[in-house]
Amino acid sequence: MNNTEDKLTSIFETVFPDLPVDKIRLATQETTPNWDSVAAITLMNLIEEEFGFQMDFDDLGELTSFEKIRAYIDGKVEQSAA
Amino acid sequence: MKLAEALAIVTKAPVEAKAMPVVLACGFTPLHLQNYLAAYLQQAHPDRKVSIETGLFGDVAGTIARFAKGQTALGALALEWQDLDPRLGYRQTGGWGQRLVPSYLGSVQERLKQLEGAIGEIPSASRLVISTPTLSLPPAFHTSGWQASEAEIALELAVAEFASRVVAHPAVSLVNRDRLQSASPSASRYDFRSDLNTGFPYTQGHAEALGSTFAKLLQLPQPKKGLITDLDDTLWLGLVGEIGHQEVAWDLASHAQIHGLYQQMLRAFAEQGVLVAIASKNSPEVVEKALARTDLILDRERVFPLEVHWDVKSGSVNRILKTWNISADSVVFIDDSPMELAEVQAQHPGLECILFPKGDYAAGFAFLKRLRDLFGKPRLSEEDSFRLQSIRQGQQFAELSRTGSANDLLASAEAVLTVEFSGHSADRRTVELVNKTNQFNLNGRRFTEAEWLESLAGPGSFVMAVLYEDKFGPLGKIAAVRGQRIANGLIIDAWVLSCRAFSRQIEHQMLAQLFSEFAVDELRFDYAATSKNQPITEFLTGLLGQAPSAECRLSQAEFAAKCPELHHRVVVKHE
Repeated sequence: MNNTEDKLTSIFETVFPDLPVDKIRLATQETTPNWDSVAAITLMNLIEEEFGFQMDFDDLGELTSFEKIRAYIDGKVEQSAA
Repeated sequence: MKLAEALAIVTKAPVEAKAMPVVLACGFTPLHLQNYLAAYLQQAHPDRKVSIETGLFGDVAGTIARFAKGQTALGALALEWQDLDPRLGYRQTGGWGQRLVPSYLGSVQERLKQLEGAIGEIPSASRLVISTPTLSLPPAFHTSGWQASEAEIALELAVAEFASRVVAHPAVSLVNRDRLQSASPSASRYDFRSDLNTGFPYTQGHAEALGSTFAKLLQLPQPKKGLITDLDDTLWLGLVGEIGHQEVAWDLASHAQIHGLYQQMLRAFAEQGVLVAIASKNSPEVVEKALARTDLILDRERVFPLEVHWDVKSGSVNRILKTWNISADSVVFIDDSPMELAEVQAQHPGLECILFPKGDYAAGFAFLKRLRDLFGKPRLSEEDSFRLQSIRQGQQFAELSRTGSANDLLASAEAVLTVEFSGHSADRRTVELVNKTNQFNLNGRRFTEAEWLESLAGPGSFVMAVLYEDKFGPLGKIAAVRGQRIANGLIIDAWVLSCRAFSRQIEHQMLAQLFSEFAVDELRFDYAATSKNQPITEFLTGLLGQAPSAECRLSQAEFAAKCPELHHRVVVKHE
C-alpha cells in the first residue's frame, strides 16, 4: 500500500465512519449509502487539506470511487512534481 | 483545528451518550460551519452526543420560528447579507445597480422584522447565539470599494439596530464582531469558489472561527469570582516601601498607564460583583497611606480583605480564600514576580496565576483583554452587587460568634427568609446558583436551563428558592431545592445553599419549610459525594447520625429531634 492510499483511506474513514475498513478500497458512490453531495464536497475539502492542491469542481462528477480518486490524486501529485 | 480533526471528533462521539441537539440556522449550505460547531461542542462535552439540526436552504426565519416552538434548547444563527436580500449575495444575478439600491433597505428591514418576530417567540430558558453578517456587502454600490456609500451605511445601521433590540432577549447572545475579526480577518472569510459551487460561502478558517465562537457562547463557562492582586509594580508602578506612598504611580505622565488601566478594570470588576483582595509583602502602614491617596482609581472600600505583611503569599491567598469561602479554581492571582507566582501556584494548583506585564505594551494590552474573558458575565444580577457586602457580613457574624453565643446572634439578627415555591419555573438565577455552588451542593450536578425546565415537567415537581435578609443587609437569592412529591414523601434531587449564607441555620429552615409545606413524613435525598461538597455531607451526617448515602432518607421525627431553635421570620410565596 502506498502513501496516497494510506492517506485516502484515512479520509474515507473520517467521512464514512460506518464503512468497514476492508471495504474502503472497493468503495464506490453506488455502493456507499452516505456518499451524497455533501460527502463528496467534504471528501474534496479533506483531500485538498491533506494533499495541498486545489481540485476542480468539474472533476467531482468523475470521482465516483476510491480507486478513481486515488488515480486522480496520483495524477495531480505527478503533475505538480513535473 | 483542521477539518479532518473536526470530523474525527464528531465521528468519535459516544453513540450511547445523552443527546445534545443544537439548531444551526443559516440561509446557506451549513457544510463545515456545522462540522466545526459540532466538533467544538463535542470537545467541550465529551460525555454527550452533539447533533446539529439545520433548516431549509434560504429559510433562516423559518428555522428560527421552528426552533422557538421546538424541543431543542440550544441554537446558533449565522446571518449573512444574502439571507436578508438574495441580491446582496453572489448566487443570484440581476439585482445590482443604482436603480435597485434603494429597495435593498426596505427588503432587509422587512426580513429583519420577520426574524425579530421569530426570535421574540423563543423561550427565555433556551439559548440562541447570533452572528450578524460576517461577510462584506457585494460590489453593488456606486462608490469605489474604498468609499462607504450611504446605502451601505443604512444597511449596516438596520442590522445594528436589529442586534441592539434582539440582544435584550434573555435567551440571546451576540457574537462580538471585533473579537471574531481578530480570530478571522475580514479579507480571509469569503470563499468565492465554494459559494458558487456548493452554496457554502465561508473559507475553512472562517468556518472554524465562527463555529468555535458559537460553541464558546453556547457553553457559557463560569466566570471567575475573585481576583487577588499584588501591589508594587502591579497595582502601581514602584516599590512603595522604597520610594514612599506619594511616588508610586499609575498615570500616563509617569509612563505607568497600564497600572491605572488595571486599577480601572479592577474597579469595574468590583462593581459587577467580582471579589478583589490584596496580597502584598509590605508594611501595612505604608500601604494604607498609598491606598488612601485620593487619586487612587480602584475603590478602596471594595477591596476586601487586605493581606499586607511579610509572610509568604500562599498563606495570604489561603486566608483570603477562606474569608471569601470560595475555591481556588474560581480565583485569579496577579503578581509581577514569577517567583511569588510559582510559590502561590505550588500551594494552590487550581488558582489561575497571571504575571503582571511590566514594561511590555503588547503583553499589557493582551492582559487587559484576558481579564475581560476571565471575568466576563453574560448578564449582571442583583445578587452580584450583594456579594462583597455579604462576605463582610459573614466576617461580622464570625466575630460576633466568637464573643457571644451563636444562638443569641441569630436571635438578634432579625433574619427574614422569603421562600418561593414554583412548579415549573426556570428562573435563570436559580439555575445559575445550582450550577456555581460547590460546597453545599447535594450531588454537584449541573444543568442547562432547558434541562432544568425539562426535569420539572414531571407530576409533583417543584422548586423552592430562598432569599435572605437580616439587619446587616440583604443577601439576595441564596438557596434552592428541586424535588418531586411522591406518596407521603419528597425526593430531593438538587439542593444548594450559597457559601455566603452559611452559619445562619438556613439549611435547617429549608427542611422545616419542606416538611410543613408538603405535609410529608419523609425526605429522600439524591445525594452523591463530590470533591467539594463536604459542608452538606457534614450537615446530613449530623441529622442522619451517619454518613449520607445515595437515596438517604430523613424522617420528620428525626429532623425535629435534631433541629435547633430557629429565629427566622419566614415569608412563603407561591408562583
